[in-house]
Amino acid sequence: MNERIAFANFHPVSLFFYFAAVLIFTMFTQNPVLLLISLFGASLFAAVTSTRAQIFADLKFYVPVFIVISLTNPIFSHGGATPLFFMNDNPVTLEAVLCGIDIAVMIVSVMLVCKAFSKVMESDKLLCLFGKAAPKLAAVLSMSLRFIPLFKRKFAQIKEAQTALGYFKSGSLSESLMSNARVFSALVTWALENGADTADSLSARGYDAGTRKSFSLFRFKKQDAVLLILTLALSAAVLPGFAGGSLDFDFYPYITVPGTDGLSLISYSAFGVLSLIPFIFEVKEALHWKYLRSKI
Amino acid sequence: MEILTLKNLSFTYPLEEKKALDNVSLSVEEGEFICLCGASACGKTTLMRLIKRELAPHGTLSGDIFFCGKAQSELSAHESASEIGYVLQSPEAQIVTDKVWHELSFGLENLGFSSDFIRLRIGEMANYFGIAHMFGSSTAKLSGGQKQLLCLASIMAMSPKLLLLDEPTSQLDPIAAADFIATLKKINQELGTTVIIAEHRLEDIFPIADKVAVMENGALIAFDTPKNVCRKLKDRRTALGFPVSARIWQALSADGEVPLTVREGRAFLKENFSPRPNDIQEKRSQKDIALSLSDIYFRYEKNSPDVLRGASVSVGKGEIFCLLGANGAGKTTVLRAAAGLINPYRGKVKTAKGAKTALLCQNVQDLFLKNTVREDLLDILAVHGIRKREAEDKIIEISNSLGISHLLEKHPYDVSGGEAQKCALAKVLLTEPDILLLDEPTKAIDPAAKKELAAILHSLCQKGVTIFIVTHDVEFAAENANRCALFFYGEILPASDVRTFFSANNFYTTAASRISRGIFERAVTENDILRLCGKEGK
Repeated sequence: MNERIAFANFHPVSLFFYFAAVLIFTMFTQNPVLLLISLFGASLFAAVTSTRAQIFADLKFYVPVFIVISLTNPIFSHGGATPLFFMNDNPVTLEAVLCGIDIAVMIVSVMLVCKAFSKVMESDKLLCLFGKAAPKLAAVLSMSLRFIPLFKRKFAQIKEAQTALGYFKSGSLSESLMSNARVFSALVTWALENGADTADSLSARGYDAGTRKSFSLFRFKKQDAVLLILTLALSAAVLPGFAGGSLDFDFYPYITVPGTDGLSLISYSAFGVLSLIPFIFEVKEALHWKYLRSKI
Repeated sequence: MEILTLKNLSFTYPLEEKKALDNVSLSVEEGEFICLCGASACGKTTLMRLIKRELAPHGTLSGDIFFCGKAQSELSAHESASEIGYVLQSPEAQIVTDKVWHELSFGLENLGFSSDFIRLRIGEMANYFGIAHMFGSSTAKLSGGQKQLLCLASIMAMSPKLLLLDEPTSQLDPIAAADFIATLKKINQELGTTVIIAEHRLEDIFPIADKVAVMENGALIAFDTPKNVCRKLKDRRTALGFPVSARIWQALSADGEVPLTVREGRAFLKENFSPRPNDIQEKRSQKDIALSLSDIYFRYEKNSPDVLRGASVSVGKGEIFCLLGANGAGKTTVLRAAAGLINPYRGKVKTAKGAKTALLCQNVQDLFLKNTVREDLLDILAVHGIRKREAEDKIIEISNSLGISHLLEKHPYDVSGGEAQKCALAKVLLTEPDILLLDEPTKAIDPAAKKELAAILHSLCQKGVTIFIVTHDVEFAAENANRCALFFYGEILPASDVRTFFSANNFYTTAASRISRGIFERAVTENDILRLCGKEGK
């Protein structure tokens, strides 16, 4: 379990619904207000759960991505009513520039949300989710999670054993390819042999007894119910504006002015709360710790 | 009450004429600790697998198997899975899942227990087996010994009445193996679980076993207490693995109580022999240096700690040198540096001018790339640019000298541990090395195969090949090395000849040395003791 992140302590089911909601709202809208809220929430969460070095590394990656995406749109899209200047006889329009920025906000926030998801949902939690629906599938998934690193290690081992015997010596591309192919075929043989043993181990432990139920370490606690209900309630509040069309947004030919009717305001504030939940929870836990420590 | 009864059990594999099991009858009382021994391919595994219905091999079976008074075929799937536990040889292969907790719960999930029950049971197991601290870690991060302990714990979680173990310690180093056996003893004593264990290394098992079953060519040739078995079976292939005390007792044709442990062995020697020094001459070590490492420093990653911290050693030409030390300390890294597989960031590896090195890795299966041993040997010769005609001759020559001619057409995965070791050695020797580096060559092979390996190594030395061995096997080192050194904390401690080395160590030494300490000076092998006893002539 990822103990450094307090938000990771929620039950996988609650976490799954939470991230599903945030992702769906972020991916299926062009509304800049919603997207900025999403980006804001996701970046704050990324900031509190990373070390300073990681934050710098992330900035080095996401800022260029953001810039490249925002520049790409106006270069290829020439729609919009307000030309700013001409490049190679093609208009670069205000609408296209803003639309590019909007898309960049969306992509970066989707990336950040996905990153948060993978930080918080380790293999154990994914298994717990799958296990409920398909116990055997969960077992297979757990096995594959073990196999991939195992294969990598074994490949390196076999390769080293061969290198010590003079394979890979000349360093030429063709020889290296041939030798790698040999190692790969040995790996396949080993995998089949190993698989037979694993199959024995499975049946020796009653995998074929036909009564399999999935077990996971996670228990659904009160706080998990709170997060789940909160997620569902806030999503329900966002939805009317989202589906009803009052949040619809267009860049071409003219930029829509974001709506300020009641429905939109409810959506914005509900989505704001939803996006900020992980950050708020993280800060709350950190303060709680500080408080506890001060009492020691 | 009898927990397991086998009546006239015979078994033949499909397409084979010879019986793998020949009229085996045996009955095991509840709570007994049974050791099943015998040379490779004597039918041990076949017998164990037939008892566990899920793993029974295909073939023709006659005779009956009763478990707790019920015929085996009448057991329900649930009963059979949970009440008969089976631990396989390789811990790597039987671990199924990626997390320790999941491995513990796996069997219980299969049997459909409730979450609360499983939670309690795996918590209990993790504590009992002392693996609670790695409960959440991934199974890949465990050491070999921890992995095998996890396999045992995950079987014990299903609370079996009968526990079958097929050479569970063959992949472990001696310390981890002793731990594992001690845990088995604890299970047997504290929970009353019946244990049947197939093993080659009997030093630790004989003293705790209630009965020993010895098999030869598919037949049960003895089923008795360990002491009676030692009395009955002398000069058999199986007897090679008996505890040193018992073997000395056998070789001296003594009578009275058979000593099994070091303590009993000491008492036996003290009673019958007076102290005397060892006048065995040490083999002179060579002056010409074949391989030298000077102040090697190495780490795997920039920010990781040093694995080698100024390791230095020089090995003489035609010498057998053994480097001993704990698991995971970095002994293998020394070999990799010597083989030129890694580049130390400081220090130098030097070999005698024009000397070729070759490394035989720990897991010999990693060496095989082809479908038959012959193709594999041809392949390595082709890589070294040797023509087909000449290659055939070379293969005939090497396979005759290593005694593997009958294995050439077999798949390298289908031969026994000892045979695979020899095939791998053949492949390595075809590169005509002057310096042979061996990583744990005695792992997973039976005592007879060890003897054969030792003979091969000595004949190579005669031809001037230098042999550098990294091993845990103190007995093998004591019997075969010229010099030994201990690897500790990234350094190779100063080397000395075998007798000085082992008689100076109190713990890291052979059973023979512990038995004879204070009685015979500098006796570190069974042969040393026997020679000294023989001179006394009592």
